[in-house]
Amino acid sequence: MNALRRLWYRYSPQLIIGELLEKRWMEPIVPFTLMLLVFAAFIVTIPSYASIVQLQQLMRSFPEQAFVAMAMALSILSGGIDLSVGAVFAMADFLTLYFLQVQDWPLPLTIVAVLAWGALIGAVNGGLIAYAKTRPFLTTMVVLIILRAAYNKITGVYAAELAGASVDSAAWDFLGAGFVFGIPINMVCLIVIGAIAHLYLTRIRSGVHIMAVGSSRKAARHAGINVQRSLFLAYVLAGMLSALAGLLYAARQNSAGTDTGVGWEVNALAAAVLGGISLAGGRGTISRALMGAAIIFLLINGLVQLGTHGSLTSAAIGAILLAAVAFNVKFVKNKGKILQKIYVSPSLVEFSPPASIERGGGTVFAENDRLKDSEAIALDKIEGPEDIILDRSDNLYTVNRNGSIIRFLAPNYEKREEFARIGGRPLGMAIDRDESIIVCVAGMGVYGVRQDRTIFKVTDETNRTWYRFKDDSRLWLADDLDIAADGKIYFSDATTRYDLSEWALDGFEGRGNGRLVCYDPATKTTRTVLANLAFPNGVCISHDGQAVLWVSTWLCRIYRYWIAGPQTGKLEIIADNLPGYPDNINRASDGNYWLALVGLRSPVYDIAMADPSFRTRMVKQIPPDEWLCPGINFGCVVKFDDNGEVLESLWDPGGVSHPTITSMREHKGYLYIGGLENNRIGRVPLPGADKSWTGWDSYWGDKTKKGAASAVAHARADHVVSA
Amino acid sequence: MSNNTNSILSFMRAGVAGVALTIAASAFAPAQAADPRADLYAKFEKAVKGKTVAWVPVWVGVLEGEWTRVMKAHFDDYGIKMVMRDPNLKSDVQLQAVSTLINEKPDILIVQNPTTTLLARELKRAMESGIKVIQVNMASNQLTDAYVGADVPKLGRSIANEVIKACGGGKGSGKIAILQGEATAAYSFDMTKAAMEVFSKDPSIKVVSSQPTNWDANKAAEVTTNVLQQNPDLCGIMSVWGPQTAGAAQVVKNAGKQGQVKIFVASDGQPADCDMLEQGLFYKNLSYRADTQGEAIVNAVLTLLQDPRPAGSTQLAYYTTNYWVSSKADRQYCFTVPKE
Repeated sequence: MNALRRLWYRYSPQLIIGELLEKRWMEPIVPFTLMLLVFAAFIVTIPSYASIVQLQQLMRSFPEQAFVAMAMALSILSGGIDLSVGAVFAMADFLTLYFLQVQDWPLPLTIVAVLAWGALIGAVNGGLIAYAKTRPFLTTMVVLIILRAAYNKITGVYAAELAGASVDSAAWDFLGAGFVFGIPINMVCLIVIGAIAHLYLTRIRSGVHIMAVGSSRKAARHAGINVQRSLFLAYVLAGMLSALAGLLYAARQNSAGTDTGVGWEVNALAAAVLGGISLAGGRGTISRALMGAAIIFLLINGLVQLGTHGSLTSAAIGAILLAAVAFNVKFVKNKGKILQKIYVSPSLVEFSPPASIERGGGTVFAENDRLKDSEAIALDKIEGPEDIILDRSDNLYTVNRNGSIIRFLAPNYEKREEFARIGGRPLGMAIDRDESIIVCVAGMGVYGVRQDRTIFKVTDETNRTWYRFKDDSRLWLADDLDIAADGKIYFSDATTRYDLSEWALDGFEGRGNGRLVCYDPATKTTRTVLANLAFPNGVCISHDGQAVLWVSTWLCRIYRYWIAGPQTGKLEIIADNLPGYPDNINRASDGNYWLALVGLRSPVYDIAMADPSFRTRMVKQIPPDEWLCPGINFGCVVKFDDNGEVLESLWDPGGVSHPTITSMREHKGYLYIGGLENNRIGRVPLPGADKSWTGWDSYWGDKTKKGAASAVAHARADHVVSA
Repeated sequence: MSNNTNSILSFMRAGVAGVALTIAASAFAPAQAADPRADLYAKFEKAVKGKTVAWVPVWVGVLEGEWTRVMKAHFDDYGIKMVMRDPNLKSDVQLQAVSTLINEKPDILIVQNPTTTLLARELKRAMESGIKVIQVNMASNQLTDAYVGADVPKLGRSIANEVIKACGGGKGSGKIAILQGEATAAYSFDMTKAAMEVFSKDPSIKVVSSQPTNWDANKAAEVTTNVLQQNPDLCGIMSVWGPQTAGAAQVVKNAGKQGQVKIFVASDGQPADCDMLEQGLFYKNLSYRADTQGEAIVNAVLTLLQDPRPAGSTQLAYYTTNYWVSSKADRQYCFTVPKE
C-alpha cells in the first residue's frame, strides 16, 4: 500500500499538468481545443464532411478571412487596432476587378497596384497614428467609413461594366481555382505568408520591434526602438495583408457586391480575441489569430451546411463565441494561478529517527563548541560565501551574492578584491590543474576564471530528457562541482524545477528533480550521468580518484558513484539518515572528507515529509512566511571516511557566527568555513592536521597518485537513487 | 357460415380467373400494354422519386420563404428530397454553400444569384459535374439548364410605361427617381436598364436619381430623403422591389407628399405590398406572384428530372406572368403567408 502511495506521489499527474501549463504553446489551448471540437462536431453531423473534396472546399473558402484576421492581429499586436481592414479588403477586391476587367491591365501589374493600394491606406493609418499621434480606434474607423462610402459609390458607378465583364486569363483562373499538390492556391498563399508572418514577428528585428512596441511603448522607446517607424510599419503591413485578401477574393469570387467585406473587421476582431490575442497589445501570435478565424469560419460554414436558418446561424455563432471568449479570458487570466496551485507536487519521504545531536549525548554528532571561537575573516566584506577555496599561494577565493568571485589576499586576508564578475549566483568552486577557478553558477551553468581573470564558459547545457515536457537541457541550478584526475568535471544540478530562490519548494517536493552531470573537456560534451536525484548538492572526487561522492540534501544521504576501477558505474549509499541536511563535501588532509550540514532535521518536519498531502495543503492555503520549512539556520561540520562513517563534528552552538554552513575547506592546518547567508568566513585551526596540506596538491600535486591512498570501501546499500 | 363459405369460394374463383388472365397476358405481352396511364405514372415516379433538389436563396425572406413553402409542398408529394442552405445575405457564405453542394452531387441545384458574377463559375462547374441548374428570378452571366422567374426587362418596360402615363407629357414635373436593388444583381440591373431605355425615348421624363438601395428599406429611405430635398417637385419613384420601397414610401408620407409623389413598384406579391397599396403608400404595384413562381420552379424541376439528357443540354425559360395591383380589388395577386 505504501509502495503504491510512494509511486503515486513520485509520478503524480500533477507533474505533467504543471509542466504542460508552463509551456508557452499551451496558452492558446482553449481556442485550439474549440477548433478541433467544432471540426469534429461537423464531421459527425455532416456526411462526408472530412472527404477530400470537402476539405479542399473548406481550404479554398477560408484564406481571405484568415488574411484579414492576420491584418487585424498585426495591428492589435502593435498595441492599436485597425478597423479599416474590411474596407481595404473590399476596395482591393473592386480594384482588382477594375484594373483587370475594365482597364485590361496585365495580372502582375494589377497585383502590384492592389498591394500598393493596401500599403497606401496602411501608410495613411500608420502615418496618422504613429506620427500625428491620433488614436488608432478613431483613426481607422474614420478611414473605414470613408473607404466604405467610396466603395459603395464606385461599385455603383461601375456596376454595369463589372456585371458584364469577365477576364480570359489562365493565370487569373489559376489564382481563383488552381491547386498546388491538391491544396487550393489561396491556401498555399496563406500557409506560406502565415509562416513568414510568424517568423517575422518572432525572429526578425523589425517584427520583434512591433511586438515590443505593443507590449510597452515606453519600454520599447527606452530600449532604443524606433517606436514610430514600428507602428507605421505595422499598419502598412496590415493594409497589405488586407489588400492581398481582396485580391485573392476577387480571383475566386469574381464579384464586388455591396456586402463584400461588410462586417469583416468585426469578424477579424472576434477571431483575434477568440484566439486569445490581448487587446492591450504585444501578447499573441499569428497562429492564434488564424485559429480564431478558423473557428468562426468553420462554425458559419458548418451551420449553413446543416441547413440552419440564417438568423439562427448568426445567433448560435454569437452565443458560442461569447462563451468561448469568456472562458478563454478566464483561462488565460487564471492559468498562472492554476499553475501556482498545482505546480508544487510533494512526494513521500519516510525518515527514521536520526542519531542524537544532544550535547553530551555520546554520539559523534553531539553538539560541542569547536567552532565557537572561530576567527572571522572578511567580516562584513562579503555577502553569502556559499563556498570558499584557497589557491597554492594561500589566497582565499569566495563567491558573493551579487555574482562575483571575491579574492582575499594572503597572508592576512585584509585586502579584498573582486577577482571576476560572472553574474548569476556563483556557488561551489574547484581549482583545476591550470589553477583556474571553476565555479557552478546557479541559473547559468559552469564557468571558469583563469588566473589572468578572464572568464570562460565551461558548459551551460546538458542532454534533454526526452520524456519531459519541460525543457531541462539548460542547467537550472548548478550547485557544486569537482574535477576528476582526467579533467572531467562532475557537478550537481540540484533541481530542474525551481530557481535558487525557490529551493524551499523543491524541499517540499523532496522528489528527484536534480541530476549529476559530467562535462568532458576532451570531447567538450556535457552528459547527465545520474538523473532523478533529490537535490544533489555537494560533489567531491574521492581521494583515490575512483568515485564521486555526492549528497542528497532532502534525503540526508551520502552517495558514492564509481567512475573508475572495477565498480565503474555503480551507485551506492554510504551514509543514510544523517541528522542534518548535507551540503558541500571537500577533502580532508587525513584522507577523510569534510561535510557541511546546512541545517538540522526536526521531528516535526520529518513527519511533514511523510505526509505529502499536508505539504500540498500548506503550500496552497497559507502564505509563504508561515510555511513549515526545513531548519537551515543552524548546522555543523562533520568529517566522514570512505565508508561513510562519521568521525567527528564541529559546532557553533546557536549559529552565532556560522549559521547556514554550506561549505568548509581545509588548508594548511586550518579549516575555513563559509555559509550561504553569512557575512564572514570563519577559520579554526585543526590540531594535529598536516600543516603543509593543500587542496590543490591533493588533486594535482606530485604526491597524488591515482588510486594510491584509499582503503577498500564497503557498500552499505545498493542503488537507491531517490525517494 | 354458409355466407362465409360462399365468399371464400367466389374469391378462389376470382383467383383462378386472375391466374388465367396473367398467363394469357404474358403469352401476348408485346402486343398489348397493360395500362398506359399506370405506365406513365411509373415512368414519372422512376424519374422523380427519391431525387434530391438543393436550393440556395440569398436568404430566407418573405419571398424566398413563399418559394420554399410551395416547392416543399410539391416535392413532399412527389417524394423528392429538398435541402436548403441559408447564407443570410452573405455572398461569400453563399458561394461556399454552392461549392459544397456541388461536391454533394444533388440532382438539381436551384440558386438565386445575388450578383451576375458571384456564382457564375460555380454554376458552370455544377453542370460539368452533372448537376442540372435552375436559376430563379435573379440570374447570372452563366446560362444554365433553366431559368424560372419574371421577364425582368418586361417588368421594367411595363412599369416605365405606367410611370410615363402618370408623370409624362406634362402631367406633373416629369421628374423620376429610380430605386435599384443591388446594383450588380441581374434582376435590378436588367429592370433599370430596360426602364431607362423607355424613359430615354420620352423627353418629358427626367430621371433625377438612380441609386442602389441593396434591398434595404433604410437605405431607400436615406436615398429618397436626399432626392426629395433636391427635387421637391418629384413626380414619381420607380422601385424594383417592394420591401425596400416601404422605406421610401414612409419618407414621402412624412414629407406630406403622398399623392404628389407616385410610387411604382415591381414586386413578388408579398402581403405587405398589397397592404401598402391599400393604404395609398404605393401607387401601382406590378406583382409577379411568388406563389405561382414557386409552382413554376416545381415544373422546371419536374421537366429536368424527366429529361434524360445530361446537365447543360437545355436552356429552358419559364417566364412568369405579371399582374397589376392598383386597388383593393386586386388583392388576389398578393399571396398570403400561411400561419405555421
